[in-house]
Amino acid sequence: MLLRMMNNDFKRKKGIHLVLFIFILLSALLVSSGTNMIIELTRSINHLFQEAKTPHFVQLHSGELSQEEVDRIGSWSEANGKVVQHQVVEMVNVDGSNMFMGAESEKSSVMDIDMVVQNEAFDYLLNLDSQIIHVQDGEVAVPVYYKQARDLKIGDTIRIDDGKFKRSYRIVDFVRDAQMNPSIIHSKRFVLSQADYDSLKSNAGEAEYLIEFRLDSLASVGAFTSEYQASGLPKKGPAVDYSLFKTLNALTDGVVAAVVILVSLILNVIAILCIRFTMLATIEEDYREISVLKAIGISQKHIKRLYLSKYMLMAAGASIAGYAVSFLVNRLFTANIMLYIGEAPKTPMHYAVPLAAVAVIFVMVVFFCSLVLRRFKRISAVEGLRTGSMGDTKVRANRLSLVRNRLLPVPVFLGLKDVMQRLSMFRLLLFVFIVSSFIIIVPVNFLNTIQSPSFISYMGVGQSDIRIDLRYSDDVESRYRELVDRVSHDPDIAQYSPLVTSQFKVLNEEGAYDNLSVETGDFSIFPLDYLNGSAPSKDDEIALSYVNSKEMGKHTGDTLIMTVGSRDKTMKVSGVYQDVTNGGRTAKAVLPYNGDEVLWYVVSMDVKDEGAIPDKIAEYEKAFYPAKVTDLKGYLNQTLGGTISQLKLVTVLSLVIAVCVSILITSLFLRMLVVKDNAQIAVLRSLGFALSRIKIKYVTMALLVLFVGIAAGTILSNTAGQLLIGGIMSFFGASQITFIVNPVYAYVLCPALLAAVVAVTTLVSINSIKQSNISKTIVE
Amino acid sequence: MVTILEAKDVNKYYTVNQNEQQSILKDINLKLQKGEFVSVMGPSGSGKSTLLYNISGMDKVSSGSVYFGGDEISAYPEKELASLRLNKMGFIFQHIHLLKNMNMLDNIVLSAYLAKKSSRESINGRAGELMKRTGIEQLAAHDITQASGGQLQRVAICRALINDPEILFGDEPTGALNSRTTDEIMDILGDIHAAGTTILLVTHDVKVAARSERVLFMMDGRLVGDRHIGKYAKEKDDLKARESELSGWLTGMGF
Repeated sequence: MLLRMMNNDFKRKKGIHLVLFIFILLSALLVSSGTNMIIELTRSINHLFQEAKTPHFVQLHSGELSQEEVDRIGSWSEANGKVVQHQVVEMVNVDGSNMFMGAESEKSSVMDIDMVVQNEAFDYLLNLDSQIIHVQDGEVAVPVYYKQARDLKIGDTIRIDDGKFKRSYRIVDFVRDAQMNPSIIHSKRFVLSQADYDSLKSNAGEAEYLIEFRLDSLASVGAFTSEYQASGLPKKGPAVDYSLFKTLNALTDGVVAAVVILVSLILNVIAILCIRFTMLATIEEDYREISVLKAIGISQKHIKRLYLSKYMLMAAGASIAGYAVSFLVNRLFTANIMLYIGEAPKTPMHYAVPLAAVAVIFVMVVFFCSLVLRRFKRISAVEGLRTGSMGDTKVRANRLSLVRNRLLPVPVFLGLKDVMQRLSMFRLLLFVFIVSSFIIIVPVNFLNTIQSPSFISYMGVGQSDIRIDLRYSDDVESRYRELVDRVSHDPDIAQYSPLVTSQFKVLNEEGAYDNLSVETGDFSIFPLDYLNGSAPSKDDEIALSYVNSKEMGKHTGDTLIMTVGSRDKTMKVSGVYQDVTNGGRTAKAVLPYNGDEVLWYVVSMDVKDEGAIPDKIAEYEKAFYPAKVTDLKGYLNQTLGGTISQLKLVTVLSLVIAVCVSILITSLFLRMLVVKDNAQIAVLRSLGFALSRIKIKYVTMALLVLFVGIAAGTILSNTAGQLLIGGIMSFFGASQITFIVNPVYAYVLCPALLAAVVAVTTLVSINSIKQSNISKTIVE
Repeated sequence: MVTILEAKDVNKYYTVNQNEQQSILKDINLKLQKGEFVSVMGPSGSGKSTLLYNISGMDKVSSGSVYFGGDEISAYPEKELASLRLNKMGFIFQHIHLLKNMNMLDNIVLSAYLAKKSSRESINGRAGELMKRTGIEQLAAHDITQASGGQLQRVAICRALINDPEILFGDEPTGALNSRTTDEIMDILGDIHAAGTTILLVTHDVKVAARSERVLFMMDGRLVGDRHIGKYAKEKDDLKARESELSGWLTGMGF
């Protein structure tokens, strides 16, 4: 009988079983691919580091290094028992504005471009076949980062041009650099021939040095670092060790792998929720049969095992299929690893670990099924045979009375009362609605915030009507003066503020100088909100962006040493502000700008008549072409256009996911509920309730739970969601985001969409009530 | 005499194993007059309950026609059948089937609030009157878990009567009650009948059937017997004598 019941159940619910199968399959596929990524990443990094003979300890040194110092390093190393090999690698740093990998220079790039020759002893720069690169005169091997970022190909040329020294190199290979591979490392090594390198060194760029060591054991790195720090050897720059190189290489793809595994787990949770509702509905439907089986002496364990076997079979099938399909799609997930790090020879681990992860997914499903099936304990043979129903899960005390209800129509009241009295049953549905609202509203609010004109306050810029940006050109200085002169005499302009961003040198904790982009000018004209402190007002004050403040470890009131006009000057941090532009690394001071290192010029202005803004923009665009003349909205769009379009995609994707999950869970929940309420529905129909009125009752129930879910989801979005976005945005420079909510989208359209979807899903899901036979149900 | 309910050539069958049909009702022809109190008897599986649900519109007949007040209700769509059940019919069942999450009064007034034939005050007043008539006025605010089977069946009767139906259908309404409570319930039904309501009951119990004025007998899905035993008057009729007369007839029919 039980096998027949199982078979009937499969036939009856083909659709949901297919959905469950797909969910478990996707979950297995993603967990398999995610773990495969981790294995591939770990093995490939080890393989790359082995082939490249990556140094165990590297000390960067900026500035000159004499032969005497090189010799001193040599003799110290020979005397140190831990050192197996050492070398001093010289690099020539080429300014981004002089490097062309296409028509545009790399001036705006955050990367430091370093030219090197291939190392002889270790720290090899490898090509895409993990072979040691050798280049001839006129050839170059370019970091793999640029292959991807600039879409470079073998045979393309790159050009160095600083006005005096001009040279082109043909790309013959791409570099896998164990030290500087990841895009988060802002230094990249290009390989030249010795002759080309010597020519470049004598004509352009500044030298930097990597003092590298291979030790007898990785365990010695800690002790060796202390010894080197105490040695008095050159160390104007950061020191990095083997484990940090590994971590940095693993970071980007490791995060992707973690996200893939997380998505897999979310899918698995959804599958498990679906299974719960499907199983509960099945148990309700088969209640009488289960009671009969119990009554005739079949053990609970046996019945449970037979029910479990169906889901075990399905979960096993889906897991195996997911594992198999993952081999077809693994290449998609590991493409980035293959490009940057290369492929390690396959080992049994590549197959065993993903299989074990898939097994975990399978066990989770089976374990949860087993938990749901504990319900069999509650089935009494006598009660089941007598009533044919499990009854309600925890009905609360009867507080709402129909007689006292004056406002609500009867079906709506019945729906409301039912939810109030069976709260525990609706908890899960409520949770799903809260999560759905959250994942819709948070991106919608964030999108609205980032598109709002006041988002300018997170970009380190005060609010002005028009902003004119002048980027570098040969005559930029004279054009800037001309612009300021024109604006100062323009009778339509209410107020204006010229601001120049140039690079200054700042002394870091290691005693070396770092570049810092500093905006100089008068910051009182278009003021900015500060996280703490205030704008600089004296010439020994500097305000730091949030990211700079965090990275430099400098807070309001602290001091730092900055080179101003070839002399070191102590500057006091006057405040910290949020800025997501330029990698979040900016600063503001009221100094004269550094004329040799100007990055860009900006003039902000307010127009007396706001209606004249478009005309004024057109006027200045024409007069100062190719300067960028924008109003606030235009500036935001230009700066954040890419982010906004990505965020729009994420918002749509979240909406689709939330709607799909809501449809799926609502549908399964309502189907289960209808089966559970079969007797009650039959009674209502016998009393003369038309189907439409019974449907109103169930739609009321679903919408009531939805509205509570939306309310809770909205509150969570504006509190926890805002904190979450603040946490993410702090990596980009803005730590204290306050959502600017568009009430029409967040409080009307999104809830209305969810409500419409849930209402329609409810109506479709409970349509089966018209097929139920009133008399049969009542007689039973 | 006015015919309130009529079945013409009614058949009911279920399809089993694809092509095989199992016949439950066979060529039923029946007329119920307004104000009649009729019992349907017969052995288990003879089709008594199926007859009741099919001629009340609760279930669809497989062939034939059912008329209520001259209208062919077997052709009605579900919505009109629901309206008919709400406004003109009342039902009481063996398992009572009150809504578990409502108190007694709410259960009674539910369908009247839905029908909206009169104001809520007047509905509440009628509910109070019915509860008083059936002796449960003190239970109005009680949950259904706080009452006996007999009390619950009284609530069910009040619920069935709240919209002042033209006909009351009962499917073994005393089937789960003891003999004393059965007598009390039948007294109430007798009073309702005396007030002019048509009643059609399905029962196994000769004692219950003896209270009605006409008894139909079913065997194997066919209506094989129809006996008028006259109206029962508690004050002057000897129930025992009616029971024994009916038993004799039923024995003759093979019961």
